[in-house]
Amino acid sequence: MGTLKLKNISKSFGNVEVLRDISLEVADGEFVIFVGPSGCGKSTLLRIIAGLEDATKGEVIIDGQMVNHLGAADRGISMVFQSYALYPHMTVEANMGLGLKQAKTPKAEIKARVTKAANMLELTPLLNRRPAELSGGQRQRVAIGRSIVREPKIFLFDEPLSNLDAALRVNTRIEIANLHNSLNSSMIYVTHDQVEAMTLADKIVVLHDGKIEQIGHPIELYNHPCNMFVAGFIGSPKMNFFDADKLDVKNAITVGVRPEHIKIDAKQGDYECEITYVEHLGSDSNLYLTHPKLGAFTVRVFGQVAYARGETLHASLLKESMHKFDEHENVITDI
Amino acid sequence: MTPKIKTIRWHIPLLLLPAVIIYSAIMIFPLLATLNLSFFNVEEGKQVFVGIANYIVLFGNEIYSEKFWNALGNNAYFFMIHMLVQNPLGIILAAMLSSKKLRFTAFYRTAIFIPAILSFVIVGFVWKLILSPLWGIAPDLLDMIGLKSLFLPWLGKEAYALTTISLISVWQYIGIPMMLIYAALLSIPEEVVEAAECDGITGSSLFWKIKLPLILPSIGIISILTFVGNFNAFDLIYATQGALGGPGFTTDILGTLLYRTFFGFQLQLGDLYAGSTLATVMFFIILAGVCGYLFGVQNRLRRYQF
Ligand SMILES: Nc1ncnc2c1ncn2[C@@H]1O[C@H](COP(=O)(O)OP(=O)(O)OP(=O)(O)O)[C@@H](O)[C@H]1O
Ligand SMILES: [Mg+2]
Repeated sequence: MGTLKLKNISKSFGNVEVLRDISLEVADGEFVIFVGPSGCGKSTLLRIIAGLEDATKGEVIIDGQMVNHLGAADRGISMVFQSYALYPHMTVEANMGLGLKQAKTPKAEIKARVTKAANMLELTPLLNRRPAELSGGQRQRVAIGRSIVREPKIFLFDEPLSNLDAALRVNTRIEIANLHNSLNSSMIYVTHDQVEAMTLADKIVVLHDGKIEQIGHPIELYNHPCNMFVAGFIGSPKMNFFDADKLDVKNAITVGVRPEHIKIDAKQGDYECEITYVEHLGSDSNLYLTHPKLGAFTVRVFGQVAYARGETLHASLLKESMHKFDEHENVITDI
Repeated sequence: MTPKIKTIRWHIPLLLLPAVIIYSAIMIFPLLATLNLSFFNVEEGKQVFVGIANYIVLFGNEIYSEKFWNALGNNAYFFMIHMLVQNPLGIILAAMLSSKKLRFTAFYRTAIFIPAILSFVIVGFVWKLILSPLWGIAPDLLDMIGLKSLFLPWLGKEAYALTTISLISVWQYIGIPMMLIYAALLSIPEEVVEAAECDGITGSSLFWKIKLPLILPSIGIISILTFVGNFNAFDLIYATQGALGGPGFTTDILGTLLYRTFFGFQLQLGDLYAGSTLATVMFFIILAGVCGYLFGVQNRLRRYQF
């Protein structure tokens, strides 16, 4: 079991309110990802769940039990830090086994659990090395191993991949996904990275300025963002926002259209635009266009294009994939 | 294959030159001159080469050797007290200072460090006054808690003088190991400590299992600094007990012995050659200690990158 419930969590550092009234439920075995811009309180929330920081208000409930008063070690959680945070003076094996040793687990069992985790993460040949003798990716695997060994109810990850290079990040991401499949425990994961969030999560929690903006399945957030912040945050390149009256859309203040929902054509279309910049990514291309009335916006097309800067192009916005927002930046659902 | 052209890179020696000159002038040359002088003596008003005769006198002649071994023994005791009291206490103070729950840390840090920047003359004099049986405040303070019977003229008793002096020196210099350890403790990343917290390691086991191993290199450095400082010590004893290392030479250490031998004191005449000999011996004692540390201990201490 590993369920988590946050009830009206608030946190202030002095006068600064960092988290405001956060309520959230994580089901057993769920993979939940916190995303949000830098400084929005993701790490703070994770640390409150871990017990490294006390909430100013609210309750943390793990498996139905209120754990506010419990220390980090007694909550049945384990945390993987961005900077790995391995013990530099211990071997990989000792690093992984220290928590169990502290809890007076029998030696044979420690050995068995460490061996199992090491096999799972392919760390067996490295067990006698020290952290300084490992590469960044290996260190991160040791840090993950250290948390597996403790068999926690809930795994917490704070941007575990951000110190790794791109290729390694993809590999480790897949490893974490596999790990989640095989362990079937609940995981809470903080990231900046869109791709990580979209690919790993069962549920994404979008945080902004210490508040939850929206919670939902990745595709749901992509298709039905509940406000302009989420709409702009999920998806890359960012959603384009236009003034509703410029597009002659009634009953809305702002209209959002994703770059991939704009059709382009060399000869015909609703808006004649100039190309200001083209990004060729190989598998797809991003075109940056300007229109005298609409202003600048981005279009994403699949595959490669032969357009170049300075050329003119006709763009048409797909009516059925428009998102409409009211004056409070909240989405308007058509009735 | 490209032909190897050997060019002398003149800028390297040129840039090193000023430092080498200054260092030689104020360190190497006096050292060598002292070494050299220890092989000479005066016979019939003229300086003559006597080989190791001075050393034979220092270790063979009872008057000299007894004083020398006494001073060396006292010095070793002086060092031991520092290692047993100053350094562990410094570590404890640093651990307390680095605790987040403690308030006014800046005040404590400064207060504890201030004696280290006081002149030894002031420290020696102040403690002489404090401990004086006649007008010191120590007897009165003990009286206030009803322990006056415990008071002894610690600096004047042969049995206690060296310990007392050592503790005064500990009092004066404890800020230095404290600061070094404090800096080392602060350099341990917060996340490592938090990871330990998640592993259930808190309080004293956090200190013993995580922090102490990580500050061992700093403790090594402190030990060697203490060693060099103690075997070169002179000033505090001179200020408190005088050059004779009284009472009855019980606080005589190598520094005070060297002072008397070199410059003379009261009826004893200064002897340049015996003084040089003693200085050379001291140099090699310290050199041996430092080398023993560098090759024996330092190699085994790992420095950790975080
Ligand atoms: N110990 C602290 N004292 C005071 N303010 C803090 C403290 N820790 C965090 N904050 C503030 O709380 C806010 C949220 O910090 P937090 O580390 O949770 O952000 P984050 O969402 O994890 O950002 P990032 O994505 O950059 O890691 C920030 O504005 C930060 O300045
Ligand atoms: Mg963070």
